[in-house]
Amino acid sequence: MARTADPTTHRLPLTSLLHEPLISITLDKGQQVYQPGQTVRGEYQIDAVEPADIRAVELSVLWYTEGKGEEDFAVHYFERLTAGDMLATGLHELRRFQTELPNSPLSYEGVVVKIRWCVRVRVFLNNGKDGVAERAFQLGEVPYAQAVLP
Amino acid sequence: MKVTAVQPPAIRGGFCPPQNPFATRFVRPGAMPFLFSPPIDREALVAKLAELQWRGAIVGPHGSGKSTLLAELLPELNRVGRRVVQFTLHDGERRLPIALSDRALSDAQTIIVVDGYEQLNAASRRTLDRHCRRYATGLLVTSHEPTHLAQLYQTAVDCELMETIVDLLTRGDRRFVSATDVERAYCLHGQNAREALFSLYDLHERRWRELHERL
Repeated sequence: MARTADPTTHRLPLTSLLHEPLISITLDKGQQVYQPGQTVRGEYQIDAVEPADIRAVELSVLWYTEGKGEEDFAVHYFERLTAGDMLATGLHELRRFQTELPNSPLSYEGVVVKIRWCVRVRVFLNNGKDGVAERAFQLGEVPYAQAVLP
Repeated sequence: MKVTAVQPPAIRGGFCPPQNPFATRFVRPGAMPFLFSPPIDREALVAKLAELQWRGAIVGPHGSGKSTLLAELLPELNRVGRRVVQFTLHDGERRLPIALSDRALSDAQTIIVVDGYEQLNAASRRTLDRHCRRYATGLLVTSHEPTHLAQLYQTAVDCELMETIVDLLTRGDRRFVSATDVERAYCLHGQNAREALFSLYDLHERRWRELHERL
């Protein structure tokens, strides 16, 4: 499950936790650390929402920055399922994904800025709301930065 | 989740870095809910703005939640049929970045939202005001100081509110930031919750690394 108190799981903006369907994302073998060029594989499932209420589902494998300043991100892999796709295959079906990871940017646990990688699933509902879940993973093995703070 | 993968060298004892709940990602307007003082809520505030003929100001010091409140109100404005055109002004932006002759800004269903109204020079404010009156266009602004517009809401931060915000952001996980830390940040930054949260960001970074070193 992507929405747990697991400290290895990336938090979501608080507002996204409201009115959202239940989304679970798992990576094969529970893998957390990948090397550049490796393939990230996994599956996701959507629950607690009626198929007719779904407008679209988007899966992204992306990196983003996190810290005190401006934010940046880039989507490495993207796929979108329409309501028709969801109805054709069944809502609760486990849906697989995979993509080969790039050489950079590597995950980085800096003090002022961090680079995070994750698999993100966003479910768009017909009522205009959406639900998001993320599963974090690490690309590369860059050591943590040391904090030198007053 | 049980971590079964090979850990990177910097992780010892299975320690995974906790996410910093004070990062921009979580504290920026739109990510963090605005905490109203009951009985006021966003619906009531938009109703009050309607009573004010869609002309009002959100007033409060730096970092006290004006933009966060705006982000909370915008969906509600859309819901009640207002077409929102928003401008966010930064230091030194003395004019709106669009000509007011633009048709998109000239009808009674539209509400022009200016975040950082105090940046506009006097001439730009007068022009904007005249334009809005002429076309019955709404005008909602945020400002550090009272304006000629009726005050819709005054944002303010006290130590108790800071504590509530921190509890919300950390989801009760107070391993790295204590109530004393929050009080100290509030005393240091006063009404500027944004700066106080950024100082807690630094503290969080230092504390988890200290823990990591001990493991």
